[in-house]
Amino acid sequence: MAAKKVAILVGTKKGGYIFRGNADRSKWTADGPHFAGAPVYHMAYDPRDGRSMWAAVNSTWGGPRIERSTDLGKTWKAVSNPVFREDMNMVLRRTWHIEPGHPDDPDAVWVGTEPAGLFVTRDGEYWSTIDGLNRHPTRDRWEPGGGGLGLHSIAIDRGDAKHMAIGISAGGAYETRDGGVTWHPWNDAVHAKHLPPSSRGEPTVGQCVHKLLATAEPGQFFMRNHERIYWRGPKDKKWIETTEGLPTDYGFAGAVHPHDAKTAYVIPLDPRLRMSTPESTAGLAVYRTTDRGKTWKRLDRGLPKAMNAEVMREGLSVDPLEIPGVYFGTQAGELWGSTDEGRTFERIEQYLPPILSVTAAWI
Amino acid sequence: MATVTVRLHGAFSDFAGGTRKVTIQAATVGEVLDALPERVPGLRERIRDEHGRIREHLNVFHNEEEIRRLQGERTSVRDGDVVHLMPAVSGGQ
Repeated sequence: MAAKKVAILVGTKKGGYIFRGNADRSKWTADGPHFAGAPVYHMAYDPRDGRSMWAAVNSTWGGPRIERSTDLGKTWKAVSNPVFREDMNMVLRRTWHIEPGHPDDPDAVWVGTEPAGLFVTRDGEYWSTIDGLNRHPTRDRWEPGGGGLGLHSIAIDRGDAKHMAIGISAGGAYETRDGGVTWHPWNDAVHAKHLPPSSRGEPTVGQCVHKLLATAEPGQFFMRNHERIYWRGPKDKKWIETTEGLPTDYGFAGAVHPHDAKTAYVIPLDPRLRMSTPESTAGLAVYRTTDRGKTWKRLDRGLPKAMNAEVMREGLSVDPLEIPGVYFGTQAGELWGSTDEGRTFERIEQYLPPILSVTAAWI
Repeated sequence: MATVTVRLHGAFSDFAGGTRKVTIQAATVGEVLDALPERVPGLRERIRDEHGRIREHLNVFHNEEEIRRLQGERTSVRDGDVVHLMPAVSGGQ
């Protein structure tokens, strides 16, 4: 059996790529494009079986589809599409995110869709609708964000397979503690400037989540929303804001450290231009906290200083090694990587189609 | 029942693993579309959405006429007819 190495799964506007690294992550071999010509919103690797990969292929022709590989990306096959209950009269428009389940629920794979919906498969082929969320009584208060009404974040508590949180733009965050049967809004103390003043004090529904992740500590979650960054531990009754120290409040991409629950990475953007710019963010940079958001450190060594760059919601990822690599992709088709936790970056590839998602895996 | 030829163009040939021509027995265009995924599994869910409607960005031609100008899926077919599945010139992504 070959020794494991890092692979970077890259979804682009025109297909998906797999970059396979050598032992020290200094050289990469590109494989792709798979699903040529179709936007790939997200790709995922399932570490539980060590062979499955998934891709959210949102093709104009033939509609959206989900593809699965059971041979580490050599061959792919479309599985069935998630289907909303007939009486909801909804047509799947896009798949936003694919999340392999908790190790204690070894067959489960979750997907988030547009219109916002959550589905699970346990046979790798057919999806079950999660009615407790998809038919939630607050559903009529969900409004589409700039990218559409998508469920894009699925975060599973590292310590409890039945404890999950999801993020909907712009429906907000929801939490379940019973494996997805019942859900409640989970937005206590979250900012939502776009809502009417009467709703801002307690935006139970409607805040614009950009990224919601489970950290390495059981029961702890990290959330990047439209205008702030938050953490929430198992004993917290509300989200704790930790945006101070970043050049802007705005951004999409976020990633958490695989082993250190106090460490996370974000890429701030100019809120008006939706890019990093020399004026608002002093160029392209990753920001890292190692103290649960109390302070942030700018990481830009090796990155172009004057570059305007847009990094999308799924565009930043961290590999699971002891000293993790940090990877991100831009809408300019550049894939960047760091093998020293972000201290220095090197360009892995350029001239790719606009990058929509980056997922680092240990395969 | 008539024996008709289905020609798959562009992405729809890709979904079919490169197949460009399929022969189907059917009485209407709708029956042709229903029968296709049985013969070509890669076309399952690519022609119709979950409500059974022909997907956006797909034009279906009966011989040289787009079926919306005929009787839609109820358009009758005869021996030797050709049904084309053609990606619409649309999208732009």
